[in-house]
Amino acid sequence: MVRLNPSAYNKAHLLLTLVLCISSFTLTEPLETWILLIVCCATIIRFSLFMNWQKHQISLRTLNLLAILSAIVLATFGWQLGLLLGMLNLLVLASSLKLMLLASRRDYFQLISIQFFLIGTGLVFNQNIAFSLLYGALTMMLLLSLAFHISPVNTWSGQIKRTGKLCLQAVPLCIMLFLVTPKLGPMWQMPVGKGGETGLSDKVTPGDLSQLARSSDLAFRVNFDDDIPVMSERYWRALVLEDFDGKSWQVAPFRERIRQRYQRTNHIFTPRTSGPGIAYQVLSEPSKNPWLFGLDLAVTRDNTIWQGREYQLISRYPLQSGISYRVRSYTQAPLLPDVELLDRRLNLQLPEQGNPRTREWAANLRQRHDSDKAFIGAVSNYFQEQEFRYTLNPSPMPTNAMDQFLFEDRAGFCVHYAGAMAYALRLGGIPARMVTGYLGGEMRGEEYMSVYQYDAHAWVEWLSENGWQRLDPTALVSPLRLEFGLQRAVEYEDSFMQGSALSRLQQLAWVNELRMLLADMDYLWSRWILGFDRDNQEDMLKALLGEVTPLRLALAGAALVLFTALLLAIYQYKHWLVIRHSSPAYYYHKGLRLLERSDIERPRWMGPQDFNSLVQQQQPAHVARQFDKMTRCYLRSSYETRDDAEQQILKKRMRFLLAKLKKALKKKPPAKRQGF
Amino acid sequence: MFRKTLQPQINTWLDKRIPPATDFSLNLGNIFIFPSRFGMLYLILCVALFVLGTNYQNNLILLLGFFLLALFLVSLLSSYLNFAGLKIMVGKVAHPFAGDSVSLPLWIDTSAQKHSAHGRLHLGLYGEKVQLSVDLDRLTNPAELSVPTTRRGRLPLPRVTLSSYFPLGMFRCWTHLRFDRKVLVYPSPLPCPVITYSATGEEESEGNVATGEGYDDFDSLTEYQLGQPLYHVAWKQVAKGQGMISKKFSSTSNNEVWLRLASKTDDELESRLSHLCFMILEMENRGQRFGLKLGDNTIQPGKSSAHRHQCLTSLALYNNEHNDG
Repeated sequence: MVRLNPSAYNKAHLLLTLVLCISSFTLTEPLETWILLIVCCATIIRFSLFMNWQKHQISLRTLNLLAILSAIVLATFGWQLGLLLGMLNLLVLASSLKLMLLASRRDYFQLISIQFFLIGTGLVFNQNIAFSLLYGALTMMLLLSLAFHISPVNTWSGQIKRTGKLCLQAVPLCIMLFLVTPKLGPMWQMPVGKGGETGLSDKVTPGDLSQLARSSDLAFRVNFDDDIPVMSERYWRALVLEDFDGKSWQVAPFRERIRQRYQRTNHIFTPRTSGPGIAYQVLSEPSKNPWLFGLDLAVTRDNTIWQGREYQLISRYPLQSGISYRVRSYTQAPLLPDVELLDRRLNLQLPEQGNPRTREWAANLRQRHDSDKAFIGAVSNYFQEQEFRYTLNPSPMPTNAMDQFLFEDRAGFCVHYAGAMAYALRLGGIPARMVTGYLGGEMRGEEYMSVYQYDAHAWVEWLSENGWQRLDPTALVSPLRLEFGLQRAVEYEDSFMQGSALSRLQQLAWVNELRMLLADMDYLWSRWILGFDRDNQEDMLKALLGEVTPLRLALAGAALVLFTALLLAIYQYKHWLVIRHSSPAYYYHKGLRLLERSDIERPRWMGPQDFNSLVQQQQPAHVARQFDKMTRCYLRSSYETRDDAEQQILKKRMRFLLAKLKKALKKKPPAKRQGF
Repeated sequence: MFRKTLQPQINTWLDKRIPPATDFSLNLGNIFIFPSRFGMLYLILCVALFVLGTNYQNNLILLLGFFLLALFLVSLLSSYLNFAGLKIMVGKVAHPFAGDSVSLPLWIDTSAQKHSAHGRLHLGLYGEKVQLSVDLDRLTNPAELSVPTTRRGRLPLPRVTLSSYFPLGMFRCWTHLRFDRKVLVYPSPLPCPVITYSATGEEESEGNVATGEGYDDFDSLTEYQLGQPLYHVAWKQVAKGQGMISKKFSSTSNNEVWLRLASKTDDELESRLSHLCFMILEMENRGQRFGLKLGDNTIQPGKSSAHRHQCLTSLALYNNEHNDG
């Protein structure tokens, strides 16, 4: 069957094609390369059909073959992708195949809907300002495509103007809907895209964090209500790693299992707090991991966040997009273990073999120092007295890493120090664990604090009678790291931001200024657009309604409906005002209606001139005279006007004449009528 | 199925809702508006985006969903107002023979309101497929719909459905208009031997015309005169540039004949009327003066097109049980 070309010079199809192409290429990371190639093919096919270089659609048989092949490939290789990416790939593949075949109206509308959804999916992966603007533009293009589909003969400018107007009209409604629609929690667990996790991970091997330290990506932002803790107190706890296998530290599997059991039974942990609290809001960047950040003992009332018994905040779902949450931290409260026996047992666990020198050294120290404090002091002393070096480029330590680090290299990054310290403490019989998170944070004036990936840090906690105590061996070696951040701590070796253009650019004042400005914009974007949550919404409702009562809510709801209707009506104000003041004809017809009241009506078939002569015969002279003038004016405006200006003059004159006619009709006293 | 059983009720409701009129200006009273199939899909899409945005706690997706929903609302009104700007009148309808289609010219005035209507307008008969789509931005009046006819008599015009998806295809605005006009449908001509009667009533059969010979008694060429039937024009000569020249036929001369219904019995009335119709057309073609006797109705001989119309009208309305006007 010969398929004719429905796409020739069809702007609707062209725009649709462009949108599919662009939105696919914003998703290069989650999409498979071969699918992008198919998208390219579809784009080229559609474009050549649009230009009418190619006159016929691709045949159905060819396409079916292609579809079967791609389905097989996707089914074979798609398993590893996981549900989200698999579905996304399938969606793009299906729409590009459909695009190759696009012919009927139904195909077109289905494709348009899929494109809208694809843009939505794109927003799962990219949420910064630039991408949002791009996706906004793509949405506009899709709407424009629809407009061209419905009325194909219009010009570009006309369509853009009309569609743009509709969009502008929709914006206030959209904002209103966004503000008032209740923010719900996730209805079910959504699949998360694999790969591309950023930030910390639940397993740390010495050397890991130093990679992170070279990344200047934003980890999260904090917005303090009033007090801002000093630099050396900014220990952002994220993960507690209690399991050590001789090489790497990771979250204890047993701890994980207990957490899952508690979560299933919804057994919520409420930490005991004391002392003053610091309240703040955290705006986390999407990390695709569930763990969140808080200072020391952090408590949140957000029910999407799980309060871990190891004093850890865990989101109930991985952060596919950035979230914001409010936290109150008690920096002086002790971190008491929930079940002390469990904590003790978990944190004394050691691998049976490896690192013989460290074992021997720790056993020696322990013999000499009876009390825990003294033992810890001795270990700390070792770090201070032996000339340890803080570096981002430690040499690799394949076997007996602790031995090599403590007695040979004596150079490492925070994970090395924390790992060695915790290991030594465990060898000495003191429960100890590694905590990873971030240390530091850059304040932007008084507004907000940004914490970057290079602030990633690891430190140690040991169990005293007074709960878990923080111990940061890195601070012993490199006090600069604590006080001034990583940048100063490793200045001497020039390894920070190695090779990144940023470090050189940061020297230029105006570039820095611009960078800060962009960062500010990004902050506002994350805080108010991406981070607008239920708390913000409740605050806003409270500010608007005062106390939230059912009656007030109902009233507010009614007011919103009314407001929407009003808004819609205002948009079309021209329509409602159309007849009014529109033309001399309007006044003429008003005049006719006035005459109807005094019992003279123009029959449908009668022209104005004939009717005028009728009026001249039947009405009193002063009325007839006015009407005569009116008729002439009306006829002139209908048949003789040359331009708008003249029409305006005639309009004014008609209004004047109408008033006169009204007066004349009123003045018609019975006495005069008798005389007539 | 369901629709079929409800159809009578729907029809009476429609008759009450949109009574027949000579011209319509579309307004609140006669416009229906409902989300189109794409509109439904679009709503599902909005819900899907809402779910996606909620589940990923992603405000941007929510914003996109709400924006599309708001656009849906805005386009509802814009769609309605665009459609409400139309004025529809029906033009002059020709007289078809039964079984033929008649073209129904619709005059569409787009600038009844200050802002003129845009987009494509789909026209069709009520309950049937869309026959044609006109673009209101490039309108050439009239838009002609073809209406099939089945039997002779006065045929009330069927309802006409107009619909538009402007501006974004999310809503379908439509209306079913019934024009207060009846079309006179002639009986369909059925070829047969022409049987004429003289004024006195004697039968003068002229043989089967289907063989098509003998009546075309070409005589000579003369100057065309205004008012002569166009089918007498000698187009060959006109094409040669010899001016308007008309053929003269010898048989167009003198005697009057009469046509009448063969018998008064009612069986096969329709086919006999069809024969009669054929004969009238035949006579007209020959340029013969003829009269018609049809029951009590007698039409004096003549040979103008008005005469033909009169004859055919009386045929169309003869004993017509469906004739309701």
